[in-house]
Amino acid sequence: MALDYFLLVFMASFGVYQIASIPAKLEGLWLFRFSKVQYIFGVLAIVGAFGWFFTDEERNVQHTVEGTEQLGLFLAAIVSAYVVTAILSSIIQARFGFPKDTPIKGKQHEQGVETLKSTTVFGGIVSSLRNKREDKG
Amino acid sequence: MPPLAGWTLWITGFVGKVPALDHVMSLLVSDFFIPVLIGLIMLGLWAGHSDPTRREHLQRTVMNASVAIGISTLVVHIINFADHFWLRPFLVDDSAIRESAIHAAQTVFYLPHDPSFPSNAATIAFAAATGVWLGNHKAGVVLYSLAFIWAFARFYAGIHFFVDLAAGATIGVLTGLFISKVFMPRTEPIPTLALRLARFLYIA
Repeated sequence: MALDYFLLVFMASFGVYQIASIPAKLEGLWLFRFSKVQYIFGVLAIVGAFGWFFTDEERNVQHTVEGTEQLGLFLAAIVSAYVVTAILSSIIQARFGFPKDTPIKGKQHEQGVETLKSTTVFGGIVSSLRNKREDKG
Repeated sequence: MPPLAGWTLWITGFVGKVPALDHVMSLLVSDFFIPVLIGLIMLGLWAGHSDPTRREHLQRTVMNASVAIGISTLVVHIINFADHFWLRPFLVDDSAIRESAIHAAQTVFYLPHDPSFPSNAATIAFAAATGVWLGNHKAGVVLYSLAFIWAFARFYAGIHFFVDLAAGATIGVLTGLFISKVFMPRTEPIPTLALRLARFLYIA
């Protein structure tokens, strides 16, 4: 049950990141060039996750995924989904070349996900490291 | 037996009469369906705005709601530690209520072992809804709707008395208000530092 719950939240939050990144214009998280495809993919991920979880087997049974464990699994799943989204979007955008990949100015702790409007997570990390070296130099 | 215990006999009397309704209720009463939906809506609020100032406001709202969920759960644990007040509807001495609640719970849910009062589900759902509503009324209304539906489904399933749910909702709302209006503003600069760390890690 714990693994199934983790997978439910992982898949659904993966879809939420894809959908939420459209109005937020966080193109660095996009897996697709077109926002409509992105949106459809996100909806399918969420619906698919819930559909699988609640039809695969009976879930209304006495189980051990309660309280703190449920919260821990939820947090682990949303963080894992974000990491996977960041890795996949960085690889896909580098491979197919659809990012603007603008070098980032300013400190990362001030910019946050705003960085992802113009580059991927990996692109942002590289920019931050370059900025640090230039500051030191 | 709590006040208004007879309401449980009335509501659980509907279980088994319309199989389609029972099927929907078995989904809504689940320990996973509505809590995960609430969590995903909060996740969408965290990331889904293009304006940095508005995004930060929503992220603080989600932080408040998350802390409210944690603190309200703690309040429920403290109440449970102090006293168990009364048994679940399917365990009470009144045979009419007990038999009806057993039938309802076995039809749409299962027979949980934790204390009946107050409802943990209602507490966390209303705490989250209140925390979110204070920062974003539209999302708050959606979350309040989910909280009401989840609480009603638990009443329908015969696993809580009405008083358990009303008390849970009250604790949730009051905790949400306290955390958002009193506690979090007084813990500055911790929330701001947490947001800066989250920004550094590309998650805020």
